[in-house]
Amino acid sequence: MGSILGDLPSFDPHNFSHFRPSDPSNPSKMTPTTYHPTHSRTVPPPDQVITTEAKNILIRNFYRRAEEKMRPKRAASEFLAQEPGCKQPRASMTTSDTP
Amino acid sequence: MFRSSNVAARIFERQIRTPAPGTSVHCARLFYENLVPSHTIYDIECPDHSFRKFTEDGHYLISFSRNNQDLIVYRPRWPSFCCKEENCMHDLPQKAKRFDSFFTELYSVSLASNNELICKDFFLYLGSNHFGVFVTSTAPLHDAPSSGEAVPGIPSIDNITFHLLRLEDGDVLDKKVFHNDFINLSHNMGVFLYDDLLAIVSLRFQTIHILQIRDSGNLVDVRAIGKFCREDDELFLNSNAQYMPVSDQSQLHHSENHVETHAHQNQLYQNSSFLSGIKQRLLSFIFRAVWNQESDDILRVQSLKKKFYFHFQDYVDLIIWKVQFLDRHHLLIKFGSVDGGLLVSRNADQHHAFFAVYNMETTEIVAFYQNSAEELYLFFEMFCDHFHPQSRNSLHMNFISSHSNNIYAFEQLRGIKKKATFTQFVKKMLGSLPFSCQSQSPSPYFDQSLFRYDEKLISAIDRHRQSTDHPIKFITRRQPCTLKFKIKTGPEAGSADGRTKKISSFLFHPFLPLALSIQQTLFSQPSINIHFRK
Repeated sequence: MGSILGDLPSFDPHNFSHFRPSDPSNPSKMTPTTYHPTHSRTVPPPDQVITTEAKNILIRNFYRRAEEKMRPKRAASEFLAQEPGCKQPRASMTTSDTP
Repeated sequence: MFRSSNVAARIFERQIRTPAPGTSVHCARLFYENLVPSHTIYDIECPDHSFRKFTEDGHYLISFSRNNQDLIVYRPRWPSFCCKEENCMHDLPQKAKRFDSFFTELYSVSLASNNELICKDFFLYLGSNHFGVFVTSTAPLHDAPSSGEAVPGIPSIDNITFHLLRLEDGDVLDKKVFHNDFINLSHNMGVFLYDDLLAIVSLRFQTIHILQIRDSGNLVDVRAIGKFCREDDELFLNSNAQYMPVSDQSQLHHSENHVETHAHQNQLYQNSSFLSGIKQRLLSFIFRAVWNQESDDILRVQSLKKKFYFHFQDYVDLIIWKVQFLDRHHLLIKFGSVDGGLLVSRNADQHHAFFAVYNMETTEIVAFYQNSAEELYLFFEMFCDHFHPQSRNSLHMNFISSHSNNIYAFEQLRGIKKKATFTQFVKKMLGSLPFSCQSQSPSPYFDQSLFRYDEKLISAIDRHRQSTDHPIKFITRRQPCTLKFKIKTGPEAGSADGRTKKISSFLFHPFLPLALSIQQTLFSQPSINIHFRK
C-alpha cells in the first residue's frame, strides 16, 4: 500500500481495499469539524494560569476557620451608622438606565 | 465489581471490563480475596532475634538481636523446592519448612556500642532511597538534675543517637546525637518522618528539631523550633542584648552551657523574662482570638480577663508533647501539662491537652483547639486521611482503611460514638492525634472493605496484643461472607499452660500473602508461625 505503516499482516487482505492513505503531495480537501464560540462572555482572562492548590483541604479549613475567628467583629454602633448609606431611594432605581 | 468470586472467572472478566476511574488499585486488591495466607507452619525454627517489621515496599524484614545491639536484615523470598515424584500436590517437604526458605539473611550490623542499646520499638523507613532510621540510647535517668532550660520532671538520657542506614548493604551513612535529652522513642512517638523531613521532639528542652535526609545520606539540620522560631531570632536577640537588663543577659549567654541557675528551680519560665518563641506565638494567637470575639472594648477586656489572664499561667506552663507533619510547612503540635506528658493516652482525658497548627515558614500559629473541641473532631471525622500525610513516593501506604475512606470503618466509628457521651467520645478520638508515622501495616488483608476481623485481636496498627488460643478469623465482606483464612498464634495444639499471660504481634508483608505471628510469654522463647499461601 505504500503507507508509513508498511506491509503489516492483516486478517483479511481485502479489508481497507478502498482506503487511500493521505498523500502529502495531494492534501485532503476535508477539514475537521471545528467549533467556534458564539459569544465572548465566558472568555477567561488572558493571563489566567490554573494551578493545583498547594494546601490540602484540611489545612485550608484550618485557615478558613482562623480567618473567621480573627476577623474583628464590628461594634453594634458601627452598623447603625452605616445603614442610611446602604439604602437607596426607590425612585433612583426605576430611573437608572438599563445596560 | 466482579460478578463471580472464582479467581479464573475474575481474570477473564478483568480482560474485558475496565474499572471505574481512579479505582484500579481497589480492583487489583479484590484478588486478595482469592489469594490468602491460609497455610500455617507452626513454631518454625528461626534465629533468636526480635523481628520488628517488614519495610513498606516489602524488600526487607528488620530484626534486632536479643541483646539489642545488632541489626539483622533479611530479604523475604518465596520458598521453592523440587520434587522427584510426578504428583507433588501434597504437603511441603521438610526442607521447605525452614525459616531460611522464606527469608535470606542479608547482613548483620552492630549499631549499639558500650552501654547503648538499640531501641527496638523504633524504626523509620524512607522508601525512595531504601534508607532506614534507627535509634540507640543509654538508659534513662529518672531523677535527672535539672539544668537551666530543661523541664523538670522529665527523665534524661545521656546519649540518644539516630543512625541513618542504607538498607541495601547496611552502611551507616550518618548519625545525629542528642545529649542529656529525652525523646519519646517507643513506637516512633517522638519522631515523625514525612517525605525527607524528620521532626524530632526533644521533650526535655522543649524543642522540635527538623532534619532533612538528603539523597546523599546526610542528616542536615533545617531548623529548631522552640526557644526560637526563625533561624535568625537568636542572632537578633544576641545583637540586641546590650539593651536588655543584666539578669536576662546572663540568662541568654548561659543558656547554651546548661549551667544551673541558683534560685527558682521550680518554675521554668520565671527565670527569664522571655518566654520561648513558640510560646509567645501561642499566647499572642490566643490573645487575638479572644480579643476578636467581642466587638465592644469593655466586653473585650472582661473576656480577656476571664479567658486569657485567668488561665495565663496554665498556658505558659504547657509543654510540647507530640508533633506531626500535616504537610511540608505545617505541624500539628500537641501541648499538655508536664505530668501528663508521658502518660498513655488512656489516662489522658483527665488532663487537658491542646492542639495547635503551626506554619514553619511564616512561624505563625494557624489554629488552636482544646482536646474536646467539636470543630477539630469534625475535621478529624471528615478528613482523617489528611492527618496521615503521605509522601508522593509511597504507593501502598495511601490505601490504608480509615473512617474517612471506608464505609465499614465509619460504621465502627459511629458504633463507638453511640456508646459514650459526645465530649468523652471527642476526647477519646482526638487522643489519637497527633498520629505516629509508619505505625500501620499497608497489607491488603487489613482492608476493611475486603475482610472483616476482630480488631481487638489483630489490626493494621503494629502493637502487641493479648493473645488467644483460638484462631483469628478473616471473613470476606462481600456476599457470600465466607471465612477465607485464619491466623493462629502459638503452637498448633495450643499451649499447655492456659494461665500464663501471652502477647502476640503480627508482621504482614505489604503485598505478598505472607505473615509472621509471634507469640511471647514472659519466661519462654517466643514461638513464631509463618502464614502463607501454599
